[in-house]
Amino acid sequence: MSSLRLEQVWRTTTFRLTLLYGLVFALGVVGLLGLVYVQSTVYLTRRTDRILKTEANAIAHAAPGQIQASIDEALALNGAQSNIYALFKPDGTWIAGNLRTYPPTLKQNGRSIETGPTPSFPANATLIGRALPSGERLVVGRDADQVAEIRAIILWALIWSGLTIMVAGFGSGLALSIRPLQRLRILQTAGQDIAGGNLKRRMPISQRHDELDMFAATVNLMLEEVERLMSEVKGVTETIAHDLRTPLTRVRAQLHRLQESAQPNPGDLAQITAEIDVVLDRFRALLRISEIEARDRRAGFLPTDLAAIVEQAADLYQPLAEVSGVQFSVSSNGPAIIEADPKLLFEAVSNLVDNAIKFTGEGGAVSVSLRYGGGGPQIVVQDNGPGVPQAERGAVLQQFFRGDRDRSIVGSGLGLSIVTAIVRLHRFQLMLEDAEPGLRAVIECRPAALTY
Amino acid sequence: MPNILVIEDDPETSAQIVSCLTDGGFQVETAHDGEIGLARALERRFEAITLDRMLPGRDGLDVVRALRDADVDVPVLMISALGDVDERVSGLRAGGDDYLTKPFAPTELVARLEVLLRRHRRSAAPELMLQVADLVLDLVKHEARRGGRVIELLPTEYKLLEFMMRNAGQTLSRRMIFEGVWEYYFDPGTNLIEVHVGRLRKKIDTPGAPPLIKTERGQGYVFLAP
Repeated sequence: MSSLRLEQVWRTTTFRLTLLYGLVFALGVVGLLGLVYVQSTVYLTRRTDRILKTEANAIAHAAPGQIQASIDEALALNGAQSNIYALFKPDGTWIAGNLRTYPPTLKQNGRSIETGPTPSFPANATLIGRALPSGERLVVGRDADQVAEIRAIILWALIWSGLTIMVAGFGSGLALSIRPLQRLRILQTAGQDIAGGNLKRRMPISQRHDELDMFAATVNLMLEEVERLMSEVKGVTETIAHDLRTPLTRVRAQLHRLQESAQPNPGDLAQITAEIDVVLDRFRALLRISEIEARDRRAGFLPTDLAAIVEQAADLYQPLAEVSGVQFSVSSNGPAIIEADPKLLFEAVSNLVDNAIKFTGEGGAVSVSLRYGGGGPQIVVQDNGPGVPQAERGAVLQQFFRGDRDRSIVGSGLGLSIVTAIVRLHRFQLMLEDAEPGLRAVIECRPAALTY
Repeated sequence: MPNILVIEDDPETSAQIVSCLTDGGFQVETAHDGEIGLARALERRFEAITLDRMLPGRDGLDVVRALRDADVDVPVLMISALGDVDERVSGLRAGGDDYLTKPFAPTELVARLEVLLRRHRRSAAPELMLQVADLVLDLVKHEARRGGRVIELLPTEYKLLEFMMRNAGQTLSRRMIFEGVWEYYFDPGTNLIEVHVGRLRKKIDTPGAPPLIKTERGQGYVFLAP
C-alpha cells in the first residue's frame, strides 16, 4: 500500500465534513466568548461607575468643613495605590488628595472618563467629577487596570479556544479520513487484482456492516455472477465439444459408409436424420437458454397466479402421463399471485413435469402441487422414479449438465438447464430433494433478497 | 398457382425453401437481400412472402414495416434463428403474420404458408359453426356433435378440435398445434401433442366411419378437408 497524500485526504467526504463542523463550532465558541467579553466589560464599567458615584456622594454629603478630613480618611481606609480621592478649587488648583492636577476633560456631572498614568497616580484610572455646593470640585477614581486585565483574560481565552478547536477539527478530520481511505485502498487493491483477471478474489468485508461493506458486498455479488457466467461460457464450449461432437462424428461415419456402398439403405438415412435431429434439438435448447439468460429481466413480468400455472401444466401433461402408464395427480389450493413471467414459469414447470414423466416410466407416479413453505409459495413436482444421485444433484443445477441417466432418453437433455435459467431469471430457488424414492423438484417462488 | 416471394440471404436455405415450395405446388421467386426483396414485393403482387429476419441491406423487420406502410397486405411469414417470445412479438408487431424458428422442417414451412394463404382468402365474417363430414362444431354453444350424437369434450380438447377444424385440409405440425391451441412458443417435447391428438381422435371417431384426423409421418396431422 502506498502512502496517503494530504491531497487525497482533503478529497474525502469525512475530512471535509469534519473540517466544516470544526469551523462552525469554532465560530460558535468565538461568538459566545465575544458575547461574554462584551457583557462583562459593560458590567464591570457600570459597576465601577456606580461605586465611584456612591463614594463621591458619601464625601459630598459630609459637613462643609469635614470634606478634606473625609478624603484623608477614605485614602487611609481604601489605600492610595488603587483609589483616587482629590479636591480642587473651582479654578482647578489642588487642595487635597492623591491627584495633583485636574484632568481637563473631566466634567462635573458624574460621568466617568478614562485617564492615563500621571506623576501623582502612575496607572490608568477611571474618574468621575462632582461639583460641591461650595464650588469646589471633588474627583473620585479607581485604578482601571484591573478591568483591563479581566478583559485581556477573556480575550485570550477567546483566541486560544478558537485556535484549539480549529486545530482539533483539522486533526480529527485527518484521523477520521485516513481510516476509510485506507480501507478504500484495500478495496482498490482487490479491485485491481480482479480487473487483472483473478476472478476468484473477493472484496474484503469487515465486521462493521457500514456503507463500504454494503458496497463491497454488492460488488462481490456482481463478481459471483460474472464468475458464474464465465464458467458457463466455458461449460458451453465443453458441452459442444463433448455432446455435439459425438453425434456429428457418428453421422460423418454413416455418411462415409453410404458413400462407399452402392445402394443407400433407407434405414441408414433415417438414422442419420435422427442423429442430426438430436444435434438440432440440443442447439435449440442451448439457444433457448441463452435467450432466457439474455432477457431483460422483468420484461414479461405480470401478476401471475401460480395455481393457474400448475393447473394448466397438469392439464397439458395429464394425457401424456396416462399414455405412459404414470399415475398423475395435481393439487393446488387457492390462487397464489406473485410477480413473474407466466410464459417462462409455465415452461419451467412443463420441463419438470415432462422430465418426471419420462424418467419415472410405466407404473410410476408423478404429482404436481402448489404449497406454501416458509419462504413463500412453492411449486413441487415429485416422482417416484430413479431420482438423481446425491452426488449429481448439485451438478444437475449447473448449466448444461447432462447426467448419465439423460443419455438413454430422447430430447435435448437440457430441460433442467432451461428450468435453472428461468428460475434464476426470477431470482427464485430451485431445489432438488430425495423423495425416497424418486426426485422432488421444488421451485420456491420468492425472489431472493440481495444480501451480504 | 400461388406465387410466393422468398427473401433469404443464405443460398443453401433459399434453395431448400424453393425446392420444397415448388414440390408443394407453389411458384417461387427469390431475392437475396432486403432491399431487392422489398423492391420486388412492392412492384408486383405476390400471394405470400417468406422473409428472413436477419438480412444484409435491409433488416427483415424493416422490410415488413415498409410493406405495411405502403399498404401491401400480402401475408408474410417471418423466419428467424431467434425464437424468443420477444423476438416473435416484435416480428408480429412489425406486421408479420406468422413466425417460424430455424431450423425448421420444409414441410412445416409449407404447412404454415398454406394456413396463411387460407386465412388470407377467408372471408372476415364470423363463423357460427364448423363442419367436416358429419362432425359439427357449434361455436356458439361450444359443443361438438357427430351424426347427432353430442361428444363430451374437455375445454382443451374443444380448443384443439376448433383449431384443427378451422385449418381442415392443412398439414399442422406439432409446433403449430402447440402454438395455436396452448399459445406457448417453446419446444413441447416429442410426444406431448401426439397424445392430445390421439385422445381427441378417440372421442370424435366412430367405428365404421372414416377417421377424421390423419397422421402425416414426421410432419404432423391433417384434419379431413370439408
